[in-house]
Amino acid sequence: MSEILRVEGLHAGYGKVPVLRDVSFHVNEGEVVAILGPNGAGKTTLLKTISGLIHPTAGKILFDGQEIGGWPPHRVTKAGIAHVPEGGRLFPNMSVRENLLMGAYGNRESLRTGVLEEVYEMFPVLRERHRQMARTLSGGEKQMLAIGRGLASRPRFLMLDEPSLGLAPKLVDGIYERLQALRGHGLTVLLVEQNIHYALELADRCYVLENGRIVLEGTGEELARSEHIKKHYLGL
Amino acid sequence: MDTVVQSLLNGALMGCVYALITLGLSLIFGVMNVVNFAHGDFVMLSMYFAFFIGSMWGVDAVFTPAITFPLLFIVGVVAYYAIIDGTLRQKYVTQIAVTVGLMTFLRAITQLMWKAQPRALPYSLIQGSIHIAGYNIMLSRLISAVVSILAIGGVSLFLSKTWPGRAIRAASDDLDAASLVGVNYRWTYALAFGLGSALTAIAGGLLMTFQQVDPTMGVRFGLLSWCVLALAGLGSIPGLLISGIIVGAAESLSMALWDPRARSLIVYLIFILVLWVRPRGLFGRK
Repeated sequence: MSEILRVEGLHAGYGKVPVLRDVSFHVNEGEVVAILGPNGAGKTTLLKTISGLIHPTAGKILFDGQEIGGWPPHRVTKAGIAHVPEGGRLFPNMSVRENLLMGAYGNRESLRTGVLEEVYEMFPVLRERHRQMARTLSGGEKQMLAIGRGLASRPRFLMLDEPSLGLAPKLVDGIYERLQALRGHGLTVLLVEQNIHYALELADRCYVLENGRIVLEGTGEELARSEHIKKHYLGL
Repeated sequence: MDTVVQSLLNGALMGCVYALITLGLSLIFGVMNVVNFAHGDFVMLSMYFAFFIGSMWGVDAVFTPAITFPLLFIVGVVAYYAIIDGTLRQKYVTQIAVTVGLMTFLRAITQLMWKAQPRALPYSLIQGSIHIAGYNIMLSRLISAVVSILAIGGVSLFLSKTWPGRAIRAASDDLDAASLVGVNYRWTYALAFGLGSALTAIAGGLLMTFQQVDPTMGVRFGLLSWCVLALAGLGSIPGLLISGIIVGAAESLSMALWDPRARSLIVYLIFILVLWVRPRGLFGRK
């Protein structure tokens, strides 16, 4: 399996406050990798640093062998990375369809090959609501639109930040079913999740981030058996 | 009664031009949250350009936007990169200082070049007036209103149907999210600032068909456009047009019924009342 993303000795933070300290990990093509960890561990900061919203203070981010650390976000997107941020961050005053169109902004070629149809097939409720303003959607619909917008550029690498956040368990099941289907299509996914049960089930491999450092890594099964995870995350 | 209707008519037509000026301001404020104090002075500058081109080549003021629109677009883009871009992450006070500085600069430049006395073009192709039901409508004002509405419609189409237009709206909704889908924010900001400034070129050309210009006019248009924007709120283009008409009519009515010197007083009064009673404006979101 070829490596699509490699992060080496990454340090990043907000202003003078360091959040990530010497983070190293990698993602192989076609894999689903989850970053687990408690609130405030630096998971969101990690994704933001990869997508270019935050500049790394040290270390390397290699995408496809190319150093992308410090690139502005619009360039990172055009390289083939899509970042679905925490809480969806839709364009509230644009319609559902316009949000999806904007998702394809960095790669408009995808529209010509029918990406909107594919997203609508995956999330039929978005087709029903395609003229509605994004701000009028329910929480679950918003998350679906956020994922759909992320897919609209046909990324090679999709980063999802807490897709279960604030959703009822039934809706989370629905979202994870779609993610499971996506994985069947060979998409490479980096998932950040607090809801560890879902993450362990979906991911091929997981990293545990605590206090800005990676403290554990392994397959979902391995981690589910680890004493550390059992004690601190699963409450067993 | 006749004076009331007559001045309402005049004011409403003028209000369409105000709405066009304000659309430029709201593009800049809505997208990058920059309070541009120099916006009114862009209108003044456009009027001088219209005067200059008109008197130099004998071109009618109404056609001058063909030259001044791209010119003001460039002025706007240059102003963005030269002075606004560096202040975006600074304190609000810095931004205000910078746009007030730009305002003063533009006024000083026009004073140097054209002196302080008012200038006007000798005549316009669109002269005379039409009479409807006993009321007198100046053709130049009517055409100004129609062109303004068309221009507003054009910008509206641009924002909803084109990629750069959608990028401007997306950046104004959520800048980080827009960057994440591939929008280059600096480029988009420069475009919004350029377009916002270029719209004053259309307004300036129209105004010069029936008005004179002097270097202190900028303040008046600046105040007017902030008042219209406060009344309309952000996010509704039809709301902007209606608010422009309301402010234009109120201004004209106060001049006809009270005192010509009361026009700015009334505009200020509306401004303060709106900010006090309904800060998000009549049609604004949030």
